[in-house]
Amino acid sequence: MDFAIGVILLLTFFALAWYCIKGFNLMIGFLVITILWTVLPLFGTLFVSEEFLKANPVLMFEGGKGLVAILNRIYQSAPEGWGTTLVNVCWGAWFGRVLMDTGIASTLIRKTVELGGDKPVVTISLLNLVTALIFTSMTGAGPVIAIGVIVLPILMSLGVPKAIAMFSFMGAVASGIYLNPVNFAQYRAFFIKPSDMPDFTLGWYASHWGYAALAIMLVVTTLLAMFYLGRAKTHRQWAAQTRTPQAAQKDAPIYTLILPVVPVILNIAFNFSVIGGFVIAGFSALFLCGRMSGTFRENCQLVNKLYYEGVVDTAPLVGFLLTLPMFNAVAVYASPYFNVVIGGIMPKSELVVCVVFAVLLFMGLFRGPMTLVGCGAATLGVLSNVAKFSVPFLYGVFAIPTITVNIGCCITQSWVAWGLAYTKVESRDFLKLSIPNAYATGILQYAAVYLFLTGLGSAWMVG
Amino acid sequence: MDWHYIREKLRPIAEGLFGKQRITRYEKPHYKIRELDYMLANLVRIPALEWRNYAFSREPLNGKFNDEQRLNWAAKSIECGESYAQRLISEYGTSDAKLLASKLALEVLYPQYPDKTDRVLFADFTMPNKINIFMDAVYRAERLLQKRSVKRVLTENLQLVNIILSHEIFHFIEERYKHEIFTRTERVRLWSLGFLHNDSGIYALGEIAAMSFARTLNDLAYSPYVMDMFLIYDYSAEDASGLYEEMMQLAGLEP
Repeated sequence: MDFAIGVILLLTFFALAWYCIKGFNLMIGFLVITILWTVLPLFGTLFVSEEFLKANPVLMFEGGKGLVAILNRIYQSAPEGWGTTLVNVCWGAWFGRVLMDTGIASTLIRKTVELGGDKPVVTISLLNLVTALIFTSMTGAGPVIAIGVIVLPILMSLGVPKAIAMFSFMGAVASGIYLNPVNFAQYRAFFIKPSDMPDFTLGWYASHWGYAALAIMLVVTTLLAMFYLGRAKTHRQWAAQTRTPQAAQKDAPIYTLILPVVPVILNIAFNFSVIGGFVIAGFSALFLCGRMSGTFRENCQLVNKLYYEGVVDTAPLVGFLLTLPMFNAVAVYASPYFNVVIGGIMPKSELVVCVVFAVLLFMGLFRGPMTLVGCGAATLGVLSNVAKFSVPFLYGVFAIPTITVNIGCCITQSWVAWGLAYTKVESRDFLKLSIPNAYATGILQYAAVYLFLTGLGSAWMVG
Repeated sequence: MDWHYIREKLRPIAEGLFGKQRITRYEKPHYKIRELDYMLANLVRIPALEWRNYAFSREPLNGKFNDEQRLNWAAKSIECGESYAQRLISEYGTSDAKLLASKLALEVLYPQYPDKTDRVLFADFTMPNKINIFMDAVYRAERLLQKRSVKRVLTENLQLVNIILSHEIFHFIEERYKHEIFTRTERVRLWSLGFLHNDSGIYALGEIAAMSFARTLNDLAYSPYVMDMFLIYDYSAEDASGLYEEMMQLAGLEP
């Protein structure tokens, strides 16, 4: 019977993969699968053998009270535990809005272009670097669009073909996200509670693999952009660019241009609180750029408005991420059944995992079974429960299809979809450039995972 | 039982469960919507040189320049566009952009992609000789041209495709004469460090000259920059009104 339940669970997994790939609502999809994965394994204990239950104590519970305790763990404690991550997301979104409102982000871009001039190769390299730096602290569709409406027309006016401009900008954004403390906190929550592994900090992650992951994506994206540019024909466009708030913004003072990376530097160098860093850098930006020169009431309203706008930027993601902890919790109860069916064929060696994931990188596209912001959360639930891997290793393994492939190269990413409409690039033209980038970057990043994040020992294992 | 009513009531639930992921878009600023003929009547009165601030507002290096440089460069670019238009007219014996394009062996295509964002693409030129005129914007503008009041301001026999094509032909001419044409030979020093330095061309000069070229070739009494507002009006009257405000303000006029 345990085998039959395992097969049914596997079928629901494939159904979820299909659901995600079709682009349906992730929040509801994961909620439905959580309910199914609660009912099937727990109700299934009535039919499975005594030996199976003894081998899997996680499925043994004492009557109605025990059942309620499990349900509370799945539907209450798990999403509550994610609350600590959510506050990071909200403050990060606020800081992103501050950088946009003060003109710091747009000034950084403009000054960068003024260094590079009309040489597309130089300017694209500098812009990629600065974009990556900006997105080490900013995240969400709002900030990407706000920077995109500055960067993309500049690149196109320099004669860079629109598809190359799009792929290069989106790749640079994704490379910055490798060091973004908000994204790090979000993805870490898929694997473990911060209190269960306090040593797995952004600083540890950055020094062991994060810097390498960022550098690989940035360099590969830039080199590919140069290669494509070398083969492309020069382009001039006549387009009407409607008025944007960024266009009217005055330059922010030069000394404030360091502020976007302050929270990340403070966190990595001193393990200083991420939210503390956002507050210090955010209010410094507001004061130094003269945005707090109104009355006390006006200043409060401004801070409040930016907070509101920032939270709205992240709202679609938050709903999905609040159902995910339930799913992560329920995967523990489903895993014994998965183990019966696929335990024998799941890779147990770190090298094999890296090779298999590198080959299957395309499954990170279209919210497929490799990306954490898609069906990959289910794959992680299966993989981490049927085999023993360290948390940093699993983080690296899943971060690549999530950040490099989904966020940086896939048309289902909200800001990529916006960029395609904005630049009038056909989806297939974008994918023709971005999929080679996903593979070139991803393979090198998996090599770095194998070099830096394998053989970490039992202290880094889950549980 | 009214099936349609039930379906409407169930739609939010169905969309919640099976609806596509919503794509986050940013909230665009809002502007007072104005009448098209009012805006056109004001824009056609802006002298060619007074469009310079609008042209430079789309220039990536604009922050490096002062007003005097902008004025000087704009004047020379306008002159450059005019003189190359005259040169081509006398060389090929026609001012008709389509005829000129065929005599210059340009491959002109007329794709019809629908356009709907805040950056409306009218045309592009790809080296060495390919021009795309995106007809969606043209068709929409031609519908607006049916209005007598609009026609009166923009002249009776306005050939939109010819204006756009002329602009792109200039970019082809720029490439052909890149070693001697002002818009390409004029360069600005961005920075220098000892013997290291970076000199750059200025994108806006080519655009100003292309507008002047199109104006001369089509014998227009106003700058083709007016088309930026006119061609997007049918997509969004509000965006067009915002652009109009920006154009007027940058020309130092009251919208």
